[in-house]
Amino acid sequence: MKNVIEVKNLTKKYKELKAIDDLSFEVYEGEILGLLGPNGSGKSTTINCLLSLLNFNKGTIKIFGKTMKPSSYDIKEKIGVVFQDIAVFEELNVIDNINYFCGLYIKDKDTRKKYVLDAINLVGLENYKKFYPKQLSGGLLRRLNIACGIAHKPKLIFLDEPTVAVDPQSRNNILEGIKKLRDEGSTIVYTTHYMEEVEIICDRVIIIDKGSIIASGTTDEVKHLASIEEKVTVEVVDLENKYLEEIKNLKHVDEVKYDNNILFITYKKGKNNLIDLIDYLKINKINYTKIFSERPTLNDVFLELTGKELRD
Amino acid sequence: MIVFNTFLKVVKSSLTPIIMFTLILIIFGITNFSTNDNSLNFEVTKPDILIINNDKNEGLTKNLIEYLTKNSNIIKVKDDKYKVDDALFYRDVNYVIIIPKNFKEDFLNNKNPEIQIKSTKDYQSSLAEMMLERYIKVASIYKSQLTSEDKIIENINETLSTKVDVLLTSKLDANNLNKMTFFYNFANYSILAGCVYVICLILSSFKNENIKKRTIISSMNYKEYNRKLLLSNSLFVILLWLFYCILSLLLIGKSMFTYHGLIYILNLFIFSICSLSIAFLIGNLINNKNAINGIVNIIALGSSFLCGAFVPLEFLPTGVINIAHVLPSYYYIKTNEIIKSIEVIDIHSLKPVLANVSILILFTIGFSVITNIISKNKQKIG
Repeated sequence: MKNVIEVKNLTKKYKELKAIDDLSFEVYEGEILGLLGPNGSGKSTTINCLLSLLNFNKGTIKIFGKTMKPSSYDIKEKIGVVFQDIAVFEELNVIDNINYFCGLYIKDKDTRKKYVLDAINLVGLENYKKFYPKQLSGGLLRRLNIACGIAHKPKLIFLDEPTVAVDPQSRNNILEGIKKLRDEGSTIVYTTHYMEEVEIICDRVIIIDKGSIIASGTTDEVKHLASIEEKVTVEVVDLENKYLEEIKNLKHVDEVKYDNNILFITYKKGKNNLIDLIDYLKINKINYTKIFSERPTLNDVFLELTGKELRD
Repeated sequence: MIVFNTFLKVVKSSLTPIIMFTLILIIFGITNFSTNDNSLNFEVTKPDILIINNDKNEGLTKNLIEYLTKNSNIIKVKDDKYKVDDALFYRDVNYVIIIPKNFKEDFLNNKNPEIQIKSTKDYQSSLAEMMLERYIKVASIYKSQLTSEDKIIENINETLSTKVDVLLTSKLDANNLNKMTFFYNFANYSILAGCVYVICLILSSFKNENIKKRTIISSMNYKEYNRKLLLSNSLFVILLWLFYCILSLLLIGKSMFTYHGLIYILNLFIFSICSLSIAFLIGNLINNKNAINGIVNIIALGSSFLCGAFVPLEFLPTGVINIAHVLPSYYYIKTNEIIKSIEVIDIHSLKPVLANVSILILFTIGFSVITNIISKNKQKIG
């Protein structure tokens, strides 16, 4: 697979504090790479270093095989960035905003016109072309922010938490748009602390904490780092302690918690744990209202590796 | 073109505050313009005098009063100490002459009677004092030579009626030059305030932290982007300058089509470019739209007061003028004052003008270099 980004031994210090500590990774052509980590883990600092917006103390950054510098305009023309903060002109309407940012890359008027309309369609702002940012809801504003960043059809797109504070409908629209961009050939670096989004759209994940990579691989590969295999949740009223003790002794059970009439069971191994549990409940005539099973999430992996949750 | 087009759209969206601001400046300017300064004019004036005569109104005393009446405006105020003091305080009279009892007799008998005076101690009162002194000196000379009171009076009148014709050789149109200087001095405030207000307003959008980040990571060279932004703002400044030139033509008239008028216009052009560089520097330093009004007041109003745009330089204390030397407005206004007094326009008379203009150009280069350094440093966010 062809490398689009190559980062080697990247280190960024703020005085004595290491925001990024010897970070090395690659981004392959045509993939969506999820850069996952809690707030302050170094995701945005990494992106800013990659884009030459920040000086760094050590390491090398190559994008499209060339060393990235502030004056690398030939590389920059292939890059699109959507920052976490909304970056649009209050004085311009939707179409003018997209046209302006696209115009920083595309000189030809006709091509630009087509690209602007494509971007509007991609993010679903067809009915808001003449709206000013103040007239848009938070979700629509985020969509405009994305359209401004990707209108020039870049080969490499950085999306820095583009779905923060977005309603579910806009979130789905944005995620669908991102997948479409990947399908059209773009390589995407997607930073977020929403693990659900990463699981939906990312081909590969890098989990960062305190400026260092603590796990990387496909979502399945990363999930395998978790010592648990399955999590089962059962809604059951007034479960007696003797049953709790018996469940603890069932095959493959690692941990049992009972709180507010909800029973949480984690399994370390096994494939048919849920069936075995249902059989046990039936035999003992324990009535339950709801039962469901989950595979370990990236949050579980993160919790296990760092002792804290991703959204901390 | 995309930067320029967006610049126009941002200007268009801020058109209402820009028009209102410009209108306020014009109204303020025209009001200021209508006040007159006659420092270069020759004008016959008469002081306002109050005469309190405690002597009999006859002979020499009567002649003195007649002489004063002929050469000044006699004001009547009730002979009351407080009323007289009030009249002086409120400048209803400039000079009070109190002729003592038996003045005539005592004067003719060499008893040196004392005429009491009260004055406002301004140039009008000096004029009145000069008249009184002149009369007494002439009367004293004739009194020492002649014995007849009638003869003394006759000789005094003859001497004091002597006139000298004065021919003013200056061809300067003092009235119009004063008007032009007034107008162009005030333009220091209007141009500077207009530039800082509008350019900062526009740059606060373009230099918004997030928009700037997006621009820096784009494929447009940031230097080129800044240059385009500067050119767009220059167009606005040139329009503002043209507007002021046209306004001066309307208010002052054909006098603007003289060499003097041309130098005023060129001086304003250089100052407008300097104002652009100041505004661009401030626009690069601030991002807050709410702070713009305060900054306009500090920069434009402050330098206008310190450098003599509202109060002529000759009336400002030395300390203030010393401070003003570090501000470009001082050299612009100083040039206007120099133009006002240039009799013949040639290389020699234009030397101080060229020196001041050179200083303005140096200021412009200095501000531009600082802006460039700041802009370069701000390309990195950490």
